[in-house]
Amino acid sequence: MKIFSEIYGTYFRITSKILSEAYTDDKTVRDIIMKEGFRDSVLFLPQKLIPGSEDWGLLERLPDGRLKRIIKNKPVEILTSLQKSWLKAKISDPRIRLFMDDETISRLDEKLADVKPLFLSSQFRATDRFSDHDDYEDEAYREHFRQVLAAVKKRSIAEVEYVTGHGRTMRGKLVMLKIEYSPKNDKFRVYSLLLRHDRIRSSGIVNIGRITYIKDTGRVFRTPFSIDDYFSSRKCTVPAVVRVTTARNGIERFMMEFAAFEKHTVRDLETGECTVELWYDAQDETELLIRLLSYGPVVEILSPPALRKQAKERIGKQYSLLCGFNKTT
Amino acid sequence: MAGFSELIKNFSKTREYVHDFFVYGFKVRGEFNKKSSRTYDDEKRRTESWMCDHIRYDELGRGRQVSISVDCGHIQENPLYSAFRSCSFTDNDIKLHFLITDMLCGGEELSLREMTDRLNTDYCFLFDEQTVRNKLKEYVQEGIVISVKKGKTMYYRLSEDRTEDYFRDLPGLEDAVKFFSETRDIGVIGNSMLRQADLKNDIFYMKHNYIIHTLEDILIPDILEAMNDKCFLIIKTFSSETNIEKVVPMQILASLQTGRRYLAAYIPGRNRFTSRRLDKISDVKNGGRCEDYDLYKEKYDKNISKCFGVSFGNRHTSGTVSPMKISFYVDEEKESFILDRIERERRCAVLEKTGEHIYTLTADVFDPNEFMHWAKTFIGRIVNVEGGSDEVRMRYISDIIKMKKMYGGDDDEDIQ
Repeated sequence: MKIFSEIYGTYFRITSKILSEAYTDDKTVRDIIMKEGFRDSVLFLPQKLIPGSEDWGLLERLPDGRLKRIIKNKPVEILTSLQKSWLKAKISDPRIRLFMDDETISRLDEKLADVKPLFLSSQFRATDRFSDHDDYEDEAYREHFRQVLAAVKKRSIAEVEYVTGHGRTMRGKLVMLKIEYSPKNDKFRVYSLLLRHDRIRSSGIVNIGRITYIKDTGRVFRTPFSIDDYFSSRKCTVPAVVRVTTARNGIERFMMEFAAFEKHTVRDLETGECTVELWYDAQDETELLIRLLSYGPVVEILSPPALRKQAKERIGKQYSLLCGFNKTT
Repeated sequence: MAGFSELIKNFSKTREYVHDFFVYGFKVRGEFNKKSSRTYDDEKRRTESWMCDHIRYDELGRGRQVSISVDCGHIQENPLYSAFRSCSFTDNDIKLHFLITDMLCGGEELSLREMTDRLNTDYCFLFDEQTVRNKLKEYVQEGIVISVKKGKTMYYRLSEDRTEDYFRDLPGLEDAVKFFSETRDIGVIGNSMLRQADLKNDIFYMKHNYIIHTLEDILIPDILEAMNDKCFLIIKTFSSETNIEKVVPMQILASLQTGRRYLAAYIPGRNRFTSRRLDKISDVKNGGRCEDYDLYKEKYDKNISKCFGVSFGNRHTSGTVSPMKISFYVDEEKESFILDRIERERRCAVLEKTGEHIYTLTADVFDPNEFMHWAKTFIGRIVNVEGGSDEVRMRYISDIIKMKKMYGGDDDEDIQ
């Protein structure tokens, strides 16, 4: 069972797509390659598919100029042993019950009766996952999740009651756009728009675990809305700029930890230090700050001034605690 | 650039380049000095071709800096999956793929001879039996073709497990695979299923998403197999082709905060457990049965409970096993959220109230460094540090003094 195999490759997929129609033409072949291929595939693949001196012989040219596949049927897509054993492993993941009911999972399990799971959950360990994760065994949670999922797929307007992070109960009509999952928190949240009199009043993120009531209003939100605009509205206005020094393997550690961020890095060739611009969601600023501070003097926050000021205040407090108590023994 | 192909045979070489383009993003051509400039040019061009929407170029005085820039929390498909879709193949591979599956898709059961004949008569392709036999053997292993022996003759038929049937007949599976295709634990396999069915994840985003892990997924099936079969594993690292180590694989560890994944293993030669970073391992292979596997696993299960992160520490340094105690200032009435945070992030450390507004965490762990690194996310609240090792405590004090100076004391001017 190979994970890196041509049967999962882009060229096989494009070929399968082209052969899915009994007849085609040169332009369609090129269009599919342009759409489905890598950037440069159009330089390499057409001559392998369109009859000529280098082709694979999977299409033949008809007198009227069209191309006809030489196979008799539309190509079939078979689940490989690797894919089935991956699916089998997922049956043991409690999150699968958010999507499928017990009866359907049993049917899947039956289909995969002779398949060994690719892995057991005990073979992986997340060392620093937060302990207050969502309760996937809770039937009310599952029901809320399924309703959120249905609302996202239909982009319907839902009447939702939920508890905020500060413990306040809120109720309103929400349009749920997309679902976010954090492996660190092991929680699902949903990007939402709050409506007032059918107009967008604000945007926000709701923890699905904090939803206490949800009901589809039966109405669909049809106003065009771009998810990119939604993300842009939540982004920091200016990036955090930090200097990362080479001490304690700082560059490597920092680059790995912050690899998930959109960032731009410039290295000073003389010192080896890096100056990194990090773009982040404004609501995650505190999380970013504490992660940067945990690097100690290996990382210095240069700007924006407000972020640097927060760092300075925390360090000032810590310095006072260190000098005042000086109990480190 | 004659002979350039956007497909590759050797994934591990590409892993190194894609890793550097994505994780570091600050290197220019001359700094990729492990291989020739020609290799760099080819790897760069491939990466550009696979991930053109995410490539960023910066003209610097010393050259052009190429990087992969992705806001990983706001993408619906890991762009690095493209690297897995670039496996090279021969002309016969692709011809036989479509011809064999076409020949068998009606449910027929055919022998090797019959198939070879039909390839000639029905499709006008002349293959020798050995070529067809090899492909069938490969497809039997991949589960695409089922072989059945009748008398002395082997017959072949197509597996009935069609991807579209699974998605059609099992409500909710499509959404589940959309979700799992972007999670850790080899999501690229789920992504391959979606692509077979012409589907894409259009529902889920992943926060704290370390997409780079997928490059290491290439190693995971072999590691899992060695664990399942209770075998040794031979690991080779990128740093040196000759750096080969025989280990007993125990578990795959992932830090969701530092973005690193490790193979936790027992090293018989050193008689200890250790964690090897997966992104540093270039290749793994089965090293044969380990008779004492269960014994090592039992010890590992005890030891891992004393790891705050992934480190089993250095037992040769004195003091490292004495419990470390870190006390924090928390105003319970106004700052209950801080207590909540400590509670959910404390892992194996024990929390107790030790004074007015003072809460103490005690961690009896192999490597107090990991505990201290995490505790520094509470800078501004740490009132006391005890135990652990002298080195860790002294470094903490030194860090705070250096940071105080770094941020300019009371005279800091904002740096623009």
